[in-house]
Amino acid sequence: MDFLDRFSIPPHDDPMLYASIVAIGLVSIAIVAGVTYFKKWGYLWNEWLTTVDHKRIGIMYIISALLMLFRGGADAVMMRLQTAVPENSFLNAQHYNEVFTTHGVVMIIFMAMAFIIGMMNFVVPLQIGARDVAFPRLNALSFWLYFAGAMLFNISFVVGGSPDAGWTNYYPLAGTEFSEHVGVNYYNWALQISGTGTLMTGINFIVTIMKMRAPGMKLMKMPMFTWSALITNLIIVFAFPVLTIALLLGTFDRQFFTNFFTTTDGGMDMMWANLFWIWGHPEVYILILPAFGIYSQIIATFSERNLYGYKSMVASMVIISLLSFLVWVHHFFTMGQGAVTNSIFSITTMAIAVPTGIKIFNWLLTMWKGKIRFTTPMMYSVAFIPLFTIGGVTGVMLAMASADYQYHNTMFLVAHFHNVIIPGVVFAMIAGLIYYWPKMFGFMLNERIGKYAFWNIVIGFCLAFFPMYITGLNGQARRMYTYSEATGFGPLSMLSFIGALLLAVGFVLIVYNVYYSFRYAPRNVGDDPWNARSLEWATHNPVPEYNFAITPTVQSEEAFWDYKKNGYKLFNGEIKDIHMPNNSGWSIIFAGIFFVFAFFFVFHVWAGVIIAFLGIIGCMIYRSFEKDDGHHIHKEEIEETEKKFGGAE
Amino acid sequence: MKQDSNLPLEYSTETNEMNILGFWIFLGAEIMLFATLFTTYFVYVDRGVGSGPAGSEIFEITPVLIETILLLTSSFTIGLAVHAMRINRVKAMIGFMIVTLLLGAAFISVEVYEFIHYYHVGATLQTSGFTAILLTTLGTHGAHVTLGLFWGIMIIIQICRNGLNARTANKSFIFSLYWHFLDVMWIFIFSFIYLKGMM
Amino acid sequence: MRELFPMKQVNGYIFSLLLTVIALSVYFFDMSYAMGLTILVVTAFIQAGVQLVVFMHAGESKDKNAIYVNTIYGVVIAVLTVLGSLLAMIWGYY
Repeated sequence: MDFLDRFSIPPHDDPMLYASIVAIGLVSIAIVAGVTYFKKWGYLWNEWLTTVDHKRIGIMYIISALLMLFRGGADAVMMRLQTAVPENSFLNAQHYNEVFTTHGVVMIIFMAMAFIIGMMNFVVPLQIGARDVAFPRLNALSFWLYFAGAMLFNISFVVGGSPDAGWTNYYPLAGTEFSEHVGVNYYNWALQISGTGTLMTGINFIVTIMKMRAPGMKLMKMPMFTWSALITNLIIVFAFPVLTIALLLGTFDRQFFTNFFTTTDGGMDMMWANLFWIWGHPEVYILILPAFGIYSQIIATFSERNLYGYKSMVASMVIISLLSFLVWVHHFFTMGQGAVTNSIFSITTMAIAVPTGIKIFNWLLTMWKGKIRFTTPMMYSVAFIPLFTIGGVTGVMLAMASADYQYHNTMFLVAHFHNVIIPGVVFAMIAGLIYYWPKMFGFMLNERIGKYAFWNIVIGFCLAFFPMYITGLNGQARRMYTYSEATGFGPLSMLSFIGALLLAVGFVLIVYNVYYSFRYAPRNVGDDPWNARSLEWATHNPVPEYNFAITPTVQSEEAFWDYKKNGYKLFNGEIKDIHMPNNSGWSIIFAGIFFVFAFFFVFHVWAGVIIAFLGIIGCMIYRSFEKDDGHHIHKEEIEETEKKFGGAE
Repeated sequence: MKQDSNLPLEYSTETNEMNILGFWIFLGAEIMLFATLFTTYFVYVDRGVGSGPAGSEIFEITPVLIETILLLTSSFTIGLAVHAMRINRVKAMIGFMIVTLLLGAAFISVEVYEFIHYYHVGATLQTSGFTAILLTTLGTHGAHVTLGLFWGIMIIIQICRNGLNARTANKSFIFSLYWHFLDVMWIFIFSFIYLKGMM
Repeated sequence: MRELFPMKQVNGYIFSLLLTVIALSVYFFDMSYAMGLTILVVTAFIQAGVQLVVFMHAGESKDKNAIYVNTIYGVVIAVLTVLGSLLAMIWGYY
């Protein structure tokens, strides 16, 4: 029994926890039973689980991201409910710690990251006129490693206990002395696995964008989203190894009793903060740059004008990518380092506001004198500009090192980063999802329901986070599970809770919209429902497996627009056989073994670790000797598919 | 597979070109991986010694020098292997690869001796922040070399089985990039961990 | 036999051994810390450059620009990370 004891969750007097265990069990059984009943296992395995098609992998990323959005969103609502009134006893202190920790990790790593990588997967190869990414098999492996990491993190709260040291996981709190149970081990391994997957994505997309662009598409003729993806992946490649090492050292501390982040024998707890933010700050830009890319596409499309200041857009992203590596110390201005150090990082931080400001002006000038159409994606983009600017300005406030002593660790900070991440990343992802929905599934989402969702989300967001600026300045510390009535935080916190509910309603409406549109939306939306500008709209909706029947030839930045309006020719030549990669179960099996490896490592089950490690080696050897040259889709097949869509050019 | 006969075999197909570029970008990530280890090392070498030994008390020049020469020479021989591959001398190429792997194995053996020495003088993973990052940095490099040994064996087997073609040539070239990179990282370890520590 | 040992590679090897010997001087001779560190920085980075160009053939592929930009970007970020961390954790920390 001793052996099994380690898997039990630490004592909790919380009935909700047991209710969620039962709920997870029932849902899992329902999914398995459902798939079995409808005899869909073969379809699921052949068409999705083993796929190497970038479009399907993208869609799987996005589905996972939406699931994680609801998981993290439930955490958020619980936190707001707990702090809605003073001295509330809905969650106890420990449970509250776990909830804010998992909320942060799930939202950043498993929701936002997955969403942007999903978008890149779906959109980038189409935008550059490629058949697929450079390494399709590696792409599938990236997804399944991310998924394995996400699942590992999510089982933590029913097997062994959730991490509870915050998403930043600061030591010594995260060390074994103060966090005895396995929660932080889960944190280390879940992030390690999904981080490896992300690094592979980074390499994959850089090579894809550098090597697989359609003929004629020079670097400075790439659509803005592709540019943002290129820069983002560059940041990924150089930021994620830092996380790998930080997590490795943390794992050593917790599982092999080293002294990296302890406070004895030469350990330095703040070194964790240092390493974490060397990764963590570039990570912020990994999230926001693709969002900027999406907004650039949407704003240009619905203003019916070319993007204003293309070159300055690119230059500002390149500058942001470099600066993003030079500001990390602003996350711990109060550590105790001197004024010189703080000043340097204060200045670099404020400097980032310049290229970001340039981008804001470029979007405004794109809309200037444009024929603006207020579709749902455009409404998100228009709402983004003022809301994100408020977030940016409060960011500059926080960047002033001496003033930061006042704001540090208060709700003001919480308000600030939600203020940049939600209008920045979340709005962009929802807008992008609605914008690319017809490309993915061949029908449009309902605009009326979409706008209801939009207003709920925007108003909910303002109500939920603006009060925090005030309570934060009044001294409300973040991560406190309760407060006394005398503090006066009660009414504003209640307002926050109401805002959180509105946000929740908005997200439910989006899901309802998917259901509603799936049932009632017309299917014949054509290939260009938005009157769009870039290359991805030059193929059919939904996109056929091979993307483009004939590889397009590009002559200008807004390739599809110039094809429609200015008569540039896009498709030269004739339909030929197309070479495609083969599906393979290798990726999901490999990632599955990684999951097992990490799970056993979390619990110090060394026999299991060794067996899983041998499995990993075996998979790699198998891959080394495997011969897989892919297959060809024949000319006749393509012609038939094209005919169904109404004929190729 | 389209092949371009004007290019060396390892670059001859589009997939090959992408593999090589992808591996270079991976090496960029590896630079950052080792940079993080070095960052941590440089911080701990001053402030992380605690009650444990400092570098100058435990480093020995002889094994370090042997390791350096072994790895430098192996980097030379893998370079010769690639050259032999380009002039289509398959046997010489395999010979050079085997020499490379033997040198790598010798390097690992000396490193194991070095680790045992550290253990005996009381510098273990648990002693202090400094010894922990020292052993982690060396260990990460050593693990890379060990992985390289197995990888190299796989490639030799494949060349023996299938001969030299676009696929195996590409793999060998990428392996050589990996091996050279490990040598570069060792130069930094040699200079900034050992020599700086003993200066 | 001769064609198996091209001059470029042999010279590169001899040069890297030479650099190692120069670096070793900081161990065998007494010199100031600044002087020693300068020698180490110079020899290590030249050594890395030799490997990159002579042995790794960084400049001969069609993608040499991408390769150089990527590598230089990595080295710059790496150096800044090391210096910035030292600034935060050692030099600027009292």
